[in-house]
Formats: sequence, C-alpha cells, structure tokens
Amino acid sequence: MTELTRPIRRLLGRHTDTPEPDAVPESPAVTEPARLTDDPSIAVDIAESDPLLAYLQSASGPIEIARLELDSPAVRAMREAGVALVVPLVSQGELIGTLNLGPRLSEQEYSTDDRRLLTTLAAQAAPAIRVAQLVREQAHEAAERERLEQEMRVATLIQQQFLPRELPKLPQWQIAAYYGPARAVGGDFYDFIDMPDGRIGIAVGDVTDKGVPAALVMARTHSILRAEASRSNSPGEILRRANALLEPEMPARMFVTCLFAILEPETGRIVIANAGHNLPYIRTDDGVVELRATGMPLGLMPGIRYEETEGVIAPASSVLLYSDGLVEAHDPNQQMYGFPRLRQEMAVDDAGSELLDRLLETLHRFTGPDWEQEDDITLVTLRRASGVADEPASDGQAGPALITAFSIPGEEGNERLAMDRVAAAAGGLGLPPARLERLKTAVSEATMNAIEYGSQGNPDVPVDIAVETTADAIVVRITDRALSGAVPTDAEAPDIELKLAGAQKPRGWGLFLIKNMVDSMDVTSDGSTQTVTLTMAREERTNG
Amino acid sequence: MTATVIELDQDGPAAILRIEGDVTSASEADLMAAYGLAAANGATAVILDFSKLEYMNSGGIGLLVTLLVRARRGGGRLVATGLSEHYRQIFSLTRLDEAIEIYDDDAAAMVAATA
Repeated sequence: MTELTRPIRRLLGRHTDTPEPDAVPESPAVTEPARLTDDPSIAVDIAESDPLLAYLQSASGPIEIARLELDSPAVRAMREAGVALVVPLVSQGELIGTLNLGPRLSEQEYSTDDRRLLTTLAAQAAPAIRVAQLVREQAHEAAERERLEQEMRVATLIQQQFLPRELPKLPQWQIAAYYGPARAVGGDFYDFIDMPDGRIGIAVGDVTDKGVPAALVMARTHSILRAEASRSNSPGEILRRANALLEPEMPARMFVTCLFAILEPETGRIVIANAGHNLPYIRTDDGVVELRATGMPLGLMPGIRYEETEGVIAPASSVLLYSDGLVEAHDPNQQMYGFPRLRQEMAVDDAGSELLDRLLETLHRFTGPDWEQEDDITLVTLRRASGVADEPASDGQAGPALITAFSIPGEEGNERLAMDRVAAAAGGLGLPPARLERLKTAVSEATMNAIEYGSQGNPDVPVDIAVETTADAIVVRITDRALSGAVPTDAEAPDIELKLAGAQKPRGWGLFLIKNMVDSMDVTSDGSTQTVTLTMAREERTNG
Repeated sequence: MTATVIELDQDGPAAILRIEGDVTSASEADLMAAYGLAAANGATAVILDFSKLEYMNSGGIGLLVTLLVRARRGGGRLVATGLSEHYRQIFSLTRLDEAIEIYDDDAAAMVAATA
C-alpha cells in the first residue's frame, strides 16, 4: 500500500473491491476513493487532505464535476478521466465510496429525473456495499488471525527446539526449571551447559520482541553462548564475546538480556555476569540476597565489558534465576506481582517442598484462574542439599522438557480452562489438529474426574496440570489431592445397548473416552495425591 | 464455560434443535426443555444440529443417551447433523452413531427425518 492511500483508508475506515463494470468512460462505476485499481480512468484516489472529501461528506446528491470549483487534485483527476457526475455513497452518515459517471451516451445533460434516480440508487446501494465491505473486512481479519496463529506455532516450535531436553544430574543438588510460553510467545530461553571440571554453565535470557523474529534471535544467541562457553570459563568473557558476535547481526530495535552463571557444584560457588537481565536471588540463613552484576544487554552496542560477581550457595540454600514474565504478571486488579513479592516468597523456608512449584502456585493464586499470561515466564532454581543424610538429593530426573505447569481450582467447569491451557501449550508442538482435539478431550475428561473425586468439587482444593514434551510425544500429567481416594479406573465398560435398555446409567463415559483418545493412560498414587499421565504421540503409532 | 444455546426450528413432524456452545451435564435442563417443546408441538423426528457446537464432554454424551431413551419411549427419532470429524469419531467410538443417524447437513437430515 502506498503512503498516499493509507491515511484515506484510515479516514474512511474501509475498502472494497466491488467489481467494476467495463472500463468505458460512459459506464457508471462504483469506485472507492481509497483504492488503486488497474483502471485509472474510472477509479480515482482521493487523498485524506483533498477538499473533495469534505465536500462529498456533506453533499446531498449527485455533483457535477465540471461546475465544481474546488482546488482539488481528485477533481482534476476525475475531469481527466472523463467523469461528469459524482454520486456520493453514504451509509449511516459515513462516506463509503462514490459512484462516478461519465457523460450520458445521448450527450445530453443529466436531467432532474436522472439525478433523482441516481440519488435513490445511491441511497439503496450504499448500505449493501457497506455490508459487502464489512464481509470482506471480516474475511481479511480472519485470514490475518490465521496467519498470526500460524506464526505463533512456528515460533513455539523453534523455541521448543532449544529448551534443554533434560536437567543436569548433580549429586546434592536439586535443579528445577520452568518455561511457560505466553500466547504470543516471547523470546525467553534457558540452558544448562556442561563445562570442564564438572562445573555447570547456566544461562537465562529474554529476547525483546515476540514471534518468529525473537525465536530466531533466541536460537542464534543459544548457539553462540554454547560455543563461547566451550572456549572460556569466565561468565563475563562469554557475554563479552557473545555481544561482539551478536551486535553486528542484530535486527533493529532488538536485543537480548541474559544472565550467565557458572556453578561449582562441589563448593556451591557461583560466578555471574549480567547483560541487562534480572539479578538472581540467593536464599541464605540470613535472608534473601541479590547477586549484583551490571552490563548492557547483548546486541545493543559493540565493545561492552561485563563485570563478574560471585557468591556462595551454602548447604540448604537455593538460588533463583528468572525472566520478567513472573515479576511483571498482573492480578485481575492490574496490580503487578513485583520484585518485593518475589523476594518475600523466596524468603519463606520451604525445606522439603520445591521452591519452583511454590513460586508457580503463588503466582497462579495471585493472577487468578482467568489470567491470560502476558509474557513468557522462565524460572530456574537450584537448591543445595543440607548435607544431612536424609536430605533428598537431586534425582537428576532426566527426560521430558516441561512446557507449562499450572493449577486450577477444583471446581466443576474448570476442566475447560485446563483443556484450553493445555491446548495453547501443546498447540505449537507439532501435534496434528485431529490428535490435538483428542488430547483436549482426554485432558478435559481426566480433569473432570480429578475435580469430582480428587477435589470433591471444592475450589480450594487445586488440581495440578503439567505439560511435557518428549522426542515423539506430548505428555500431560494431571495430579489431584485424592480426597475421595483413588479415581476408579476399572469401572464397567459403557455399553450403549445396556444404557438404552436401562441396565446401565446413561453416564459413565469419561474413562472410556480418555482411554480411547490418547495413546496411553497411566495412573499413579502416593496416598495423598493421584496422578493421571496421558501420553499422546505426535504421529499416529502403527500397530505391531 | 460457554452456555448452551438451543434454538428450536419446527415445521411439521420434524424439528431442528440448533445447538450452540457447550453440551455438558449442565445443558440438561435446556436440552430437555427444547426437546419437550418440540415433542409437544407434534415432532416425531428431532434433528440435533451440532454445527455450532464448541465442546461436548462425557456428561454431554450421557445427556444424549438420556435423550435417546426419552425419544424412544415416545416413539420419536433422533438425528444429528453438523458434527465435526472429532465428534463423529466420538459418536462412532461410543456407538451413539448406531442409535442416532448422522447426516452432513440439515437438508439431508430433513429428507431422512420426514421420509
């Protein structure tokens, strides 16, 4: 679109592709002031600043172009194109186009009757054209939405490729990571890098901007950091080189904030350098401390140096690295989660329970169930064992990458919320639409069971849901509080004939549906919770 | 949750119930009332038009079974149209498609229902 036409479209608010009759000057043609067509002899663009626009807005009927005394480029263009009469098309007080006519074929002037007829025609045609314009606009908007959703799927797919498939296995350390993409998929990432002498590099970053461009910059940053981490054991040096490589190729108005830490698992010594990212919190016996280091974000300007700071994570202490999405989340009253709240949460001694789970629980309590996540959220926590023998050491759980985890109040109807959130998280993971539909039904049914049996319908008893991805499948875990004991999983198979004959209750389809929708369903229980694990392969599994 | 909206369109012995939104156990009162009205108006065949269905769960399937039992008791027929591929599959899995005839659109269902 040219700069000239854009303001008019904004002014008129719409455009139409109403088909035009033959391009002979004598024939009437409906033309849209804002449109460029192949046929300049009929369609005339009217610029936003052209006085003809205001004139047409207030005109009450056909206007003779030859007699119009206006200093208007559009009028001149019309005269050149052989337009004799212009009939404004006005629908609900708004100019939506014009009917441009050449001279009469009889070469006589347009009569009063002609004008009356044209005025009536314009009055009747305008609303119909307006409807056609609206239909076209809607189709255009639908196509645009589809395009954006497609882009989001691609962005998510790129993003997923670069999340670690497994967490480092470190004795005496409990490591947890969470990545929750927002609907529009920001550019968050995290990474664990094995370094010489058993040290571990940890990167947490955030690319400004969203969608595919951010995902691509994230992918590039990810590989640069990995490459530089193999050449240096200094976080500051790694960031300096990463900046030097990224800066020349960074798209305009984009940059990357990144915190790079190197941990010595044996001693708990941690050295960090920071490129404009959130500072890590360490919880110690004396409270929560922020590990400070400053530096410019990556990609903004050349020649930046990054200072290093070091700290120690003592036994039974934890460190948290995180992205903006957490602290910038809002509750229904538009209050921001904020740093003080995070610091306060961090200060709670939660020995025995997982810091990361608790932070997410607190966040979801804060935002409420109807929250639409504004930005990607990334959390990485490392907890050092107390050294006491019964301390649960890290099991270094290798396996699937966690895509999202959330809790819903255990109240009937929330299964739809769970279903929609799982669908949003799984939507970009390469599951064909038919399989996504089946996963949605299974998640909804399993969540309904969890609400009915696990929470007994009590909104204060939550159901926890986690979505993970493995190389070939999407795995959804639904954990309830088992208030009614285990959900029965061996119920009699529903039979439509028995039901119609009144020999079975009409209900009781849930479990049957779940088993038939996904590739596998497993149930595990530890007395106080029950977890239903649904596995859906990305591709149809062939039997045998 | 999206509420169920049911619109009744009746002309002679066949009635169309256009269902919009969610069909869950919470839809029972609305669906039964609409069916009752159609039956009271003399409908012997009821076409359930699911083309605007957003979500149906096991509760909704149970509800259809209840409706089927009721229809059969009254000597009526249930016909379904507008089902997405996903819900067609569910109808097939649950064998609901053996008790409720499925057609692609209202016109085909209407022909069958009034035959």
